[in-house]
Amino acid sequence: MKKLIPDIILIKFLRRMSMISGFFSLLFCALICITFLQLKRTDPLHTPVSTLLQEKLIQYPSSPNLIQEIRQIDLLARKAYFTSEWQIRTGSYLLLASLLILIICLKSIELITPRIPSIQVSEQGELWNMRKVQFRWVLIAGIALVSISLTLAFFTHRMLNGIPNEGNVPELFSRSRDSLQINPVAQSPAASIISDTSRNKLRSDSGKPGGDDEYPTQQEIRLNFPSFRGPDGNGIAFQKNTPVSWDGASGKNVLWKKEIPLPGYNSPILWNDRIFLSGSNENKREVYCLDAANGKILWSADLSKIKGSPSQNPKVTAETGFAASTLTTDGIRIYAIFANGDLSALDFNGGIIWTKNLGLPNNHYGHSSSLIMYHDLLIIQYDQSGSGKVMALAGRTGDKKWETSRNVKVSWSSPVLVNTGYRTELLLSAEPYVASYDPATGKELWKLDCISGEVGPSVAYANGKVFSVNEYSKLAAISLGSIPTLAWEDNEYLSDVPSPVAVKDLLFVVTSYGVVVCYDAITGKKHWFKELDKPVYSSPIIADGKIYILDKQGTMHIFQADKTLAMVAESSLGEGSVCTPAFGNGRIYLRGNRHLFCIKK
Amino acid sequence: MIFLLIIVFLPGVMAIQRFPKPEFESGYVVPVNQLPVQRGEILAWLDVAVLLIALSLVTYLVLKRRSRMGVFCISLFSIAYFGFYRQGCVCSIGAIQNVSMALFSGNYTVPLTVLAFFLTPLIFTLLFGRTFCAAVCPFGAFQDLIALKPLRMGAWLNAFLGIIPYLYLGLAILYAATATEFLICRYDPFVGIFRLNASFGMFLFVGLLMLTGVFIARPYCRFLCPYGVLLNWMSRFSWKHMNITPAECIQCRLCENACPYDAIEYPQVKKNPAGHRKQVNKMVVLILLLPIFIFGGVWTGGKIHRTLAGVNSRVRLAHILQPAHTTNNQPEIPEITAFRGSGITQQDLIREVTRIEHDFLIGSRIFGGFIGLVFGLTLIRLIITPYRTDYVPNKGTCFSCAKCMDYCPVVKD
Amino acid sequence: MEKQNRRQFLRLAIRGTLFGGLALITGDLLFRKGGSLFNNNIMSGPTVWQLDPSKCIQCGRCATNCVKTPSAVKCTHAFSMCGYCNLCSGYFKPGTKNLDTGAEKQVCPVNAIKRSYVEDPFFEYTIDESLCIGCGKCVKGCGAFGNGSLQLQVRHPLCDNCNECSIARNCPAGAFSRVPASDPYLLKGFGKDRV
Repeated sequence: MKKLIPDIILIKFLRRMSMISGFFSLLFCALICITFLQLKRTDPLHTPVSTLLQEKLIQYPSSPNLIQEIRQIDLLARKAYFTSEWQIRTGSYLLLASLLILIICLKSIELITPRIPSIQVSEQGELWNMRKVQFRWVLIAGIALVSISLTLAFFTHRMLNGIPNEGNVPELFSRSRDSLQINPVAQSPAASIISDTSRNKLRSDSGKPGGDDEYPTQQEIRLNFPSFRGPDGNGIAFQKNTPVSWDGASGKNVLWKKEIPLPGYNSPILWNDRIFLSGSNENKREVYCLDAANGKILWSADLSKIKGSPSQNPKVTAETGFAASTLTTDGIRIYAIFANGDLSALDFNGGIIWTKNLGLPNNHYGHSSSLIMYHDLLIIQYDQSGSGKVMALAGRTGDKKWETSRNVKVSWSSPVLVNTGYRTELLLSAEPYVASYDPATGKELWKLDCISGEVGPSVAYANGKVFSVNEYSKLAAISLGSIPTLAWEDNEYLSDVPSPVAVKDLLFVVTSYGVVVCYDAITGKKHWFKELDKPVYSSPIIADGKIYILDKQGTMHIFQADKTLAMVAESSLGEGSVCTPAFGNGRIYLRGNRHLFCIKK
Repeated sequence: MIFLLIIVFLPGVMAIQRFPKPEFESGYVVPVNQLPVQRGEILAWLDVAVLLIALSLVTYLVLKRRSRMGVFCISLFSIAYFGFYRQGCVCSIGAIQNVSMALFSGNYTVPLTVLAFFLTPLIFTLLFGRTFCAAVCPFGAFQDLIALKPLRMGAWLNAFLGIIPYLYLGLAILYAATATEFLICRYDPFVGIFRLNASFGMFLFVGLLMLTGVFIARPYCRFLCPYGVLLNWMSRFSWKHMNITPAECIQCRLCENACPYDAIEYPQVKKNPAGHRKQVNKMVVLILLLPIFIFGGVWTGGKIHRTLAGVNSRVRLAHILQPAHTTNNQPEIPEITAFRGSGITQQDLIREVTRIEHDFLIGSRIFGGFIGLVFGLTLIRLIITPYRTDYVPNKGTCFSCAKCMDYCPVVKD
Repeated sequence: MEKQNRRQFLRLAIRGTLFGGLALITGDLLFRKGGSLFNNNIMSGPTVWQLDPSKCIQCGRCATNCVKTPSAVKCTHAFSMCGYCNLCSGYFKPGTKNLDTGAEKQVCPVNAIKRSYVEDPFFEYTIDESLCIGCGKCVKGCGAFGNGSLQLQVRHPLCDNCNECSIARNCPAGAFSRVPASDPYLLKGFGKDRV
């Protein structure tokens, strides 16, 4: 078969082509490497020159020359960034093209060049030697593998401290964990999946002790106001841009107000667009659900006759009433407890899911401790004369998950959940000590004797310090750690009803006779104090950098939550109140003696 | 001042309504976001169809038509389609990880197309030999293209490096099963070529591998590919396998240098000079030692499980948070900032990590035992006397590329 | 001959075992609870990678870890959430006095945000995707002082949908996850609504 171009000439041509393309491949490769290295050394978007100029600009903000210079450099920097990107991209295409040509040429040469198969001189005995050699080397590979693994294991040996339930609490973490952070749980990305279409639904978390039901994330909880004194029960609300000025009498900034059928001193709680509260008299006990947008009572659940309810009412004072405990919710169910020990769980439509009676409490004022949720557990503080205890029931079924008895006198304070960063602690305050429990198991973590009398205020927490106060006792600051210690104490301004609240390095104490004091949380030094001259029963709440204090006559005193005294506003409700405000949806919900108010901006 | 404090202590904030939605008087309409989606699912099934067709075609070309040129053309097509067009993802090699993750870690469902990519080559190989490696796998096809001056490797090196694919397979399955990461994807050298985009380190690694590939044919396939381990097993016991000769072998020895991958096995009629009895003894000793090897592997696996677990991001986070590691002077790394904002406690993290490390203990022990088993079986294989009269391809390592067929003078009638 | 038959039988047996192994794995994956067939789980369909803006801490790794250059993660503006502020904290550096479009005032290093006047006192901010590198600086500013309407999201026509996303592996907040391909965006709107 005659060929158009003789083989030899073709091969020569291909050889030349391959040399050229080989050269170009090397060239492009080198160019790409150089651009890579250049980029690595100086990121065009963050050159030291531009940083320097920016700093200068802060000093001389209106110098036009400086501005001009910065703009020019910025333009150049941007051009350089995009150009280098383009360079690398084009370079790689060119590299690929030249490599392709190179390969094609070489392969064609290989195809065209005639090859004659050659026969080696090979002895059949060689196979055994080969096998022997291979055997030896596989053996060597195995031994090498084991030794390398063991060496690696030895040198990278590190155990984790703080295996669960050990006492080793890292000090570093009790410091800067600030409760203003909102982000929810991080997960390992390889398998993390958002498992359904409405992604704001609750996520289930099996494998955690205490139950494997669904419960909301910390982020979801903090968007709402699901318990007494806020999401963690420590007086901190996470809403921003909160209203400061209103007038209940004239209706200014009052979105709606609704009369609540039965009285109760429990504070409203909020989840999404629903408000829940309870009311009770001698014979009836009811839970109400209101629409947060317009105040309509969507349903009221009658809980007067539940199984196990005692036939006689407990002895309560007028100041406490039968419904002093605030409700709580986990976004799936609402939980309510009354002074006779009746505990009920309702769903969001008012249907009763389960009820229980915890026994008539032996409490001479009336049971007041509010409820709080930890994951899917309902935590109940049940301190009575003679037998105090704290227990956790599964929210879904009401089954008791754990119960820990407390050697304390009867109290009216409420539990506070604190995430120290290292672990979550449940803090309870009653005579004679402040105690901390593991909310998942009920195990007592520590206790410190620092309080006496009839304890009404709950504790405050910020930055690794727990603050407890009671009238005729003292204000104590406890530093957390492996062994909590008393950091400082004071007894000039003591509260017997409103709970203190702390944020970062400030502690605010409001006394029931109407004095607001701002302490330095670390040293106990007083920054400022103000006499309101009005009695206060409601606990203060800190939201959006402001502290909201509602006095008994219904006037809200709002100060900056800062170490300098700065009053923001004083707004009146027009009705007396002893309840603690709830925040949500950019509104404040205040329960007066007769009505529930919704304040907007 | 408070703003600065907030920005220091707030690592990332969810949407909080600070400024209300504006009401426009000028008739301005708020634009709607364009949210385009990925390529349609039907195209993934198209890939599966192309895979099936290509596999069938190559099998036919190798086993029936015995055409090297046909195989070469299909390999060019594979480089173009599975390589540059689909950019080598999702590939059959990587599908091992998806299958492992679906089998052992909760919460992940393997898409049917990925499962098809995993199974189809295995089934074809079980039936017809490694025709997948011949021309369908873009990695193999690419290496075939650059194998310009293949040299013979020493048998010792072949054996020594032969353990690496098993290690890679075991580690890849371990890490995928614990949902730690996809090791194969992370260290895949070819995907950088197909995407024309890689980190600098990868770029150098690929360059070196390709340079090696010019002189040692198919280095990735022989010494790295984890899927190749599975294909090796399937191919060894395959129903039909390609043969060098279309009919009877005439021992003309012309194919001795034909295979660039040293996959041709020579005839062996002489007996082992060491003697039959000695061989049997050695065999018995090795079989008795096999449980010891497995146990040794399990023990070693248990020893290194914490090191292996150290790759997991949650484990690494727990270690970073240990007091010895966090000092006040260093700028806070994003992992710590993110953790502080996540709301979970360190104790919860440690509980989670303890569970993960326990999973790794079990997995590493299985991995170690597996390597021990492979080790023992390899040694046994090297003792066995083969008896062959013909030149045949090694069923396990032959890639069915049909290069050797052109060397055989025998013609089928 | 016997030896041959024995060997062939052995091979057949092992082949059957291998096939059985494959069948077992397939069967388990397809028919188990949460498997690929007979499953109501929306996640059994094809999935893609997406960033959850509520977890994102704007560390800047999205710009550098994507296998594509430029990154497939871009800033997306959820207009329904935007306050249209004059002093946009995602556009202007903190402490900016004269609110003009000078480069020295912009948070964005590549001038990818375009500011245009709508009506007093509202300004519209749009993102030029061809310029955005996904560094997250504007997202950080908007989230800290504004409504959080600027959010980083994976743009799917650009994303290669790798088997394992390199950014996902390196995200310190674990903000990346697999989402159904039919509903692949996690853009956040006011309250619980999404755009």
